Amino acid sequence: MITDVEKALIKECLVFAGEEGASDARITLTKSTEDQIATLDGQVDKVTRCADRTVNIALFVDGSFGSFSSNRLERESLRRFIRGAVQTVKMLAPDSFRKLPERERCCVSAVSGKEMNIYDPAYNGIDAPARRRAALDAAVSGKPLEGLPQGVKLVSEEGEYSDSEYDVYVVDSQGLECRHTETSFDYGVEVTIEDPSGDKYSDYWWTSSPLLSDFDASACGKTAILRACAQIGARPEESGKYNMVVAANVASRLVSPLLNALNAYSLQQGNSFLVGSLGRQVFSGNMTLLDEPWRKGETGSKLFDSEGVATKEGPIISGGIVMRYSVNTYMSGKTGFQPTVEEATRPRLCPFPSEATDQSGLMQMLGRGILVTDFNGGNCNPATGDFSYGISGQYFENGKPLRPVSEMLITGNFISLWKNFLGAGSDYRRCATKLIGSLAFGEVDFSG
Amino acid sequence: MNNNSDIFGLSLAQLRAIVSEGIKGGDWCDLYFEQTIYNDLLLRDGTVASGGFHLDYGCGVRVLSGEKTGYAYSESTDFQSLIDAARAAGAIAGKSGTLKLETPPATPPPPYGMQLHWDDADKKQLASWLEKLEAAIRSRDSRPSKIIALLSWSVSNILMYNSLDQLSSDTRPLASVTVTAIFKQGDATEQRNVSRSFRCGREMLSDELIDTLAGEAVKDLDDSFAARRPKGGQMSVVMAAGASGILLHEAMGHAFEADFNRKGQSVFCDRIGQRICKQGINIIDDGTVPFNRGALLYDDEGTPSQKTYMVRDGVLTSYLHDRISAAWYGVAPTGNGRRESFRYNPIPRMRCTYMESGADGTLQDLISEVQKGVYVDKFANGEVKIGEGDFTFYVNRGYLIENGRLTMPVKDINIIGNGPRALADIVAVAGDLKIDDGTWTCGKEQSVAVSCGIPSVLINNLTVGGE
Repeated sequence: MITDVEKALIKECLVFAGEEGASDARITLTKSTEDQIATLDGQVDKVTRCADRTVNIALFVDGSFGSFSSNRLERESLRRFIRGAVQTVKMLAPDSFRKLPERERCCVSAVSGKEMNIYDPAYNGIDAPARRRAALDAAVSGKPLEGLPQGVKLVSEEGEYSDSEYDVYVVDSQGLECRHTETSFDYGVEVTIEDPSGDKYSDYWWTSSPLLSDFDASACGKTAILRACAQIGARPEESGKYNMVVAANVASRLVSPLLNALNAYSLQQGNSFLVGSLGRQVFSGNMTLLDEPWRKGETGSKLFDSEGVATKEGPIISGGIVMRYSVNTYMSGKTGFQPTVEEATRPRLCPFPSEATDQSGLMQMLGRGILVTDFNGGNCNPATGDFSYGISGQYFENGKPLRPVSEMLITGNFISLWKNFLGAGSDYRRCATKLIGSLAFGEVDFSG
Repeated sequence: MNNNSDIFGLSLAQLRAIVSEGIKGGDWCDLYFEQTIYNDLLLRDGTVASGGFHLDYGCGVRVLSGEKTGYAYSESTDFQSLIDAARAAGAIAGKSGTLKLETPPATPPPPYGMQLHWDDADKKQLASWLEKLEAAIRSRDSRPSKIIALLSWSVSNILMYNSLDQLSSDTRPLASVTVTAIFKQGDATEQRNVSRSFRCGREMLSDELIDTLAGEAVKDLDDSFAARRPKGGQMSVVMAAGASGILLHEAMGHAFEADFNRKGQSVFCDRIGQRICKQGINIIDDGTVPFNRGALLYDDEGTPSQKTYMVRDGVLTSYLHDRISAAWYGVAPTGNGRRESFRYNPIPRMRCTYMESGADGTLQDLISEVQKGVYVDKFANGEVKIGEGDFTFYVNRGYLIENGRLTMPVKDINIIGNGPRALADIVAVAGDLKIDDGTWTCGKEQSVAVSCGIPSVLINNLTVGGE
């Protein structure tokens, strides 16, 4: 955790910057510790201890701007570092839009860093034996495995338990001072199975929680194995248009490109398929995406962004209408857009058609189609929204999975995809920072 | 002691003491000291008004007990901090080893260097080079609406020491120029990304590089505006020489990394010595290509770099090894133990992965053999599922092939296949090997700089995304 001595040093860096010729500065100290216990086939395979610290320094000098960082926190070393940084900024072209955010936009409520209740003091009580137990208890190798089909064997299980503490402290020369602290308890596992014909299938599962009392990794190994088993014998379906359900664990893959396209950096460069979309109905009227960064005790909650600007709750897209771009101070100056937080903090897609909708309900609703349980590569053209992704999953009829599908591609355009949005589940994973439940779309091009 | 030891401020006796502490918990201990200074300058909206530098400094301590790893690092290199890190890494426990003395292997000269050191750079001159690059793009085409050009460079000073009493040091430069250009034609928008990356000094910033990047940024732009999605499905694919080497990286290279094979996860495990593709095909992972982004003097556990044949004449001959997998298989390490920084333990990773030229004629010969398929020559990213061997890569640009001729331009399609089947389905290899010098980065657990290359190849039965 950041100490009072370190906080004083960071404030002193503001003084150093001023003395060296900076008109304004923002200094951010980040510290973290993490312990990882990795297992291979139920045995401890790797033990790792991480301790990191970084000072990020944003300098505004004679109308120019530069960004610097160092992990050497000795006072004299930092002073020399800032001196060199100021000299570098002086060599850059002036940019009148570079400035600190207005004071009234900045966060004043993040004082202790623990306001979001995602720091668990129990972290400090975990010792090395407890970590080993957590990792070994979560592993399934060598234990009775339910649900493994006849003749299928577990070839490999790689698990990793980790716990971490993250602390960030930000000050600027206009008086900003805020702090965010969180803990995280995580487990992830990858398994490889082999079927009787010698074909291999791999899959994964993971969980995470900021609070130890909410952390439960017991189902991860079994889930990963069942996901791998579900792919046995997978092959492509015939190419064509299908209804598509996307499982909640990978659904954010289809939301992230929208958020990127709504970022002012992309919009200002014309490298966005959502240029000119603010206030317009672009997507299905059934689609509402909210930003909910103030949910106490929940992963991803935060009171301020990297500029120290206070986060806000509210709609990003409402009824298919774009309500908000993500615009930081610099981009606000360049584009004339109202400044906001620099990016969506904790986006949540509202369930549709009902709060009770889940993956199974969406499959029932569509009747026939392809359930996507994993993506394999692919990309999106940020300028046009055209995309193509590899997928695997299940072909379903009458709402029930019939046979596994792999080596297929979905291809389309993000605007038309989300115009064909048919539903979203409330089955999003609480451990994710983007709360996106299972998704349903109509008329998607599949190639196989 | 070696020159980089001055940076980290420790004597050989202290290094021995730290390793002796670590090896109490295992049978191998190594230290990886790193000081990296990363710099960047960004041109946006016609001016270089953003830049900075970033210092990363520390030491990683690894203790091995058989195949088990204990790892800890410190961002301070004072003696006591590293003794503490060695004790933490030694917590992996097991049998206790001792410091041994061995003659280090002979090391070839470094495959890179800096004629003009980045430390001596005048940033205003570097900014003006970026401005010339932007002007060169605009002089070739009237349609750019926005151009972003990023010049980044880093110099890493590395010192490695291990429980065989082997000490090695390296100074690794890595410089990259990346251009993103947005072109407007009516309501249509086209994005181009071009880049070059080398392990070298400021001498890379030549007029010739400006010509190359500007030329590539606007090459066949009319075709890109006219490009459409093809009808998707299984078809033959002709992959152009150069960046198509992503096929080797995703479909084969990862599956040849020895950690995946040691753990039984790879689709190629237990296939050493077997034919996996047609005679005459040689696939290599090479850390010695001069100034290449994937080149290394030593890997990140002190093994001298080398050129490793993974496939020779169609037969799988070697996996890519770090020390752990090499010991497990009873072979010599291949110099593939790499890491992102001192914060990570090394694992088997690729360097520059390529296929040697074949004897099946020219690119044109390959295209003329295809009745219906696609030709692809510009790529973004790729991915692989190790167990199944299913791989994908994303094509920014290409053309349909109809009756042996290139016809409609295509773009933004993903291609999917299966590694072993795709290898077996390579039916022709042209004699035009080209290494691609773009900013390829591999993201297997950690990010490391790599590169790839290939001659033009014809592969049957890949699945192409489309409408």
